[in-house]
Amino acid sequence: MCGIIGYTGRRSAAGLIIGGLRRLEYRGYDSFGVATKPDDGGIAVFKKSGRISENECALDDLSGHHGIGHTRWATHGIPDDRNAHPHMDCRDEIAIVHNGIIENFAHLKKDLEGRGHTFRSDTDTEVVAHLIEEHFSGDLFEAVRMAVKDLEGTYALLVIAGGDGRLIAARNSSPLVLGVGDGEMFAASDLAPLLEHTERVIFLEDGDIAALSPGGVEICHAGKAVTRGVERVAWRLDDVHLGGFAHYMLKEIFEQPQVFFETFRAPVSDAVAHAVSRADNISVVACGSSYHAGLTFAYLAESLCGLPVRVWQASEYRYYPPPLPGSAGAGLVVAVTQSGETADTLAALKQAKAHNLRTLAITNVPGSSVTRIADSTYLMRAGPEISVAATKSFIAQLAACMRILTRLCGNSFDEVISRAHIAIGEALLTDVSDAVAICASAASVFFVGRGPFYPAALEGALKMKEITYIHAEGYAAGELKHGPFALLTPDTPAIALCMPGATHGVMLSNIKEMKARGAPVIGVGVKGDAELAEVVDVFIPVPETEEVLQVLTATVVLQLLAYHTALALDRDIDKPRNLAKSVTVE
Amino acid sequence: MQAVILAAGEGTRLRPLTRSRPKAMIPVANRPVIEYVIKALNSNGIRDIVVVAGYRKEHMLRYLNHLEVPVTVVVQEKQLGTAHALKCAEPEIDGDFLLLPGDNYIDGASIARIKDECNAVLVKEHPNPSNFGVAVIQDGYLSSITEKPEDADVFTVSTGIYSFTKEIFGYIDSCDLPDAVSAMIRDGGKIKAVDALDWQDAIYPWDLLKLNRRLLEQIPATRGGSISRSATVVGEVHIGSGTVIGPHTTIYGPVCIGDDCEIAPHSVIMPGTSIGSRVSIEPFTYVKNSIIMDDSGIGSHSRITDTVMAEGCVLGDHTTTAVGEDLFEIEGRVLKAGFGAILGDRVTSAPFTVFKNCLVGNNVTVGSGRVVPHMVGDDAVVI
Repeated sequence: MCGIIGYTGRRSAAGLIIGGLRRLEYRGYDSFGVATKPDDGGIAVFKKSGRISENECALDDLSGHHGIGHTRWATHGIPDDRNAHPHMDCRDEIAIVHNGIIENFAHLKKDLEGRGHTFRSDTDTEVVAHLIEEHFSGDLFEAVRMAVKDLEGTYALLVIAGGDGRLIAARNSSPLVLGVGDGEMFAASDLAPLLEHTERVIFLEDGDIAALSPGGVEICHAGKAVTRGVERVAWRLDDVHLGGFAHYMLKEIFEQPQVFFETFRAPVSDAVAHAVSRADNISVVACGSSYHAGLTFAYLAESLCGLPVRVWQASEYRYYPPPLPGSAGAGLVVAVTQSGETADTLAALKQAKAHNLRTLAITNVPGSSVTRIADSTYLMRAGPEISVAATKSFIAQLAACMRILTRLCGNSFDEVISRAHIAIGEALLTDVSDAVAICASAASVFFVGRGPFYPAALEGALKMKEITYIHAEGYAAGELKHGPFALLTPDTPAIALCMPGATHGVMLSNIKEMKARGAPVIGVGVKGDAELAEVVDVFIPVPETEEVLQVLTATVVLQLLAYHTALALDRDIDKPRNLAKSVTVE
Repeated sequence: MQAVILAAGEGTRLRPLTRSRPKAMIPVANRPVIEYVIKALNSNGIRDIVVVAGYRKEHMLRYLNHLEVPVTVVVQEKQLGTAHALKCAEPEIDGDFLLLPGDNYIDGASIARIKDECNAVLVKEHPNPSNFGVAVIQDGYLSSITEKPEDADVFTVSTGIYSFTKEIFGYIDSCDLPDAVSAMIRDGGKIKAVDALDWQDAIYPWDLLKLNRRLLEQIPATRGGSISRSATVVGEVHIGSGTVIGPHTTIYGPVCIGDDCEIAPHSVIMPGTSIGSRVSIEPFTYVKNSIIMDDSGIGSHSRITDTVMAEGCVLGDHTTTAVGEDLFEIEGRVLKAGFGAILGDRVTSAPFTVFKNCLVGNNVTVGSGRVVPHMVGDDAVVI
């Protein structure tokens, strides 16, 4: 949700910032803006509604070696030129970019207006610019430090001013990393724009304020100077390139065999092993695809290991009665989030901590907020995920969950799951073109499954709706009769996951029931399942494997189906409308 | 100088090995064939490379993205022919360029011979010319080229490696490159014929074994992983990181073993063998002159010789491949070939299976104690 970037060094800032914003675009694409500090003083600003990838930016007016940029996912104020960041103070001397929400902005705005400040936008961010202005008398670092004392809410801020040669960064509950180059410094919302310049990064803590100059960084926390270690990131630059693929989503789908293998095989730290082996019940908190990964985990853990697991949508977790701390703290709360910055998940995790529950995070981004909050972290090895629709990170979450399962109930699955990447690779060869033809012309699509295939159906429906804009619903196959049956017509295809095992027979009956109401049925089953192939309109065969791996192969097939349907409909696959990659507001 | 590598084709005569990968991505001495082509170009200082990908392009793209020297990729959506593939790359080409097939091995020295010529082709004597484009040469220049003739009285074949000026695009009418070349010659264009030094194609699956033996000689013998003190490792042997070589195992190079493999105690790996990554070989098993691709496993007390095993195969204990010679019909041609077994992806067999000089499709399952003969199609169950 919003991406910010800042640079100070020897190179021309504007081009570099524009390049960085392109890499951050998946975080928001309503508007963008750049501010630089020309060598002859003052601040130069360019901002515009729309996407940076589709608009030219007038670089000529943005000289200087020092600047900030922003790409927006609108929260306060409609996405137009006026509300685009950077925002300035009354005298146009200070420029700021902001990711997060200032919760007390209305109150601050009234005060500031009372003291004679003029506001030029509807955003919450602009109050920060005016607050800094009030405290600024040549020392920007000090001014920012004083100004943030009045702020309530979440923020990652980058500030430059005409009268100060430094770039100031401040962080509270919104992501911000610093990149350390040779005689240059970067600050950005995530690692993606930094990878092409440096692999040395500093992860800031909540409450940190940093002053960046080309030679180095000073960090201050609660009024005291502190040092934060420089870490090396293992992500590679080619991970954030399209490299000949038509879309990031397709590239990421095809990375899944390797991602699963590497995540499953990644060493489990003692802290994680200890947390898992001591748990006598687990609560999973997550949003979106991560929630579906949590549901899959629940099915597998309860049936295979006999361990009670509850799964919560993170945003709803807080409204239930607070979970009771189990006997001697034996309950474990697992937060699943790709970015590690999902605001709802972080809030739920903090709430669990407040009740003295032990916490474990499963995340993809090293150094992200969730890794700071949770007691221990299982880092998945998906590499940067650029497409807004989660694919490889979902598979990586399942890999992490399955790894935890093998810890929980001995290593009996180790051998089966260590061959999962072969099954995933095999599923990638599936031809879904007949099913695409049906889905592309549908107004509404149902995804149904039973048991562990129910979460897979939910995930399939989520992928379908987010990138094709076709209305799609995932249902437990048995639930369909309790209402949704009224919606079945020849124009509402149903996609049924009918794998061998306990659910096969009853799924076949469900499929026949749907067929009887005239809905075309696309059946996903194992190769050679003649019984299924006979009753469905389109049969998508997946390779025959063990049941737990079929959850993975079914997921991959549904990803391909959504991707190719979106392609047939000419949708903006990597950047679907109204969405952004990591949801850092509640 | 630019180079265009054509790597869009499936290589249907190599089935079942090309179901999940294009021919140029088949690993030989543990590296995809196209990597040797790229290396030969790089060794001549040619770094501006355009690769035309098509069939199973995702596999190719993922590989190309991890190369040290970045290459440009163009996609040929439908595999219509070599000239059409070249046409797809036209927007990326500025001047004179080299054209190479991505699925043949070529050495750097041959490329050095041709790279400064304007219009030239690398040719090579071959005992079976009818699988290739037969080149008739007069006074050092190409006078005609005939693709895959029934009978050939000349033994010089085109390697498919050309140096061209941009003129060639003017002659592309049909989808096949030899047509364009012939048109150019008819029009008075001169194409110099230059002898290639070291060039080899693998037309049929069993040809891979020969190519593998040759390329294994070039693999630097680096040793990673952990090797038991009582193992015997002799000659040029590459062992990848994370691989465990058990006690009393004997390995005679040239042999190449990838990462994270488990070679159990008392196994014997003989020359001419390439073993991919994450392969497990159980105790008392003997492997010779074979290609074992990633994620495969061979049970104990097995004997595997002159065999190509694609990815994810699992063979039970006491498996034997019996080398013989037989006739195989591939795309309408009947060929005599001697080898142990060619297994597609994910072939699983129960203990005591004998693969007798056979070509086995993908996803085939073999029941206990069977002798698998001759040819078995994809997804078959042998019981």
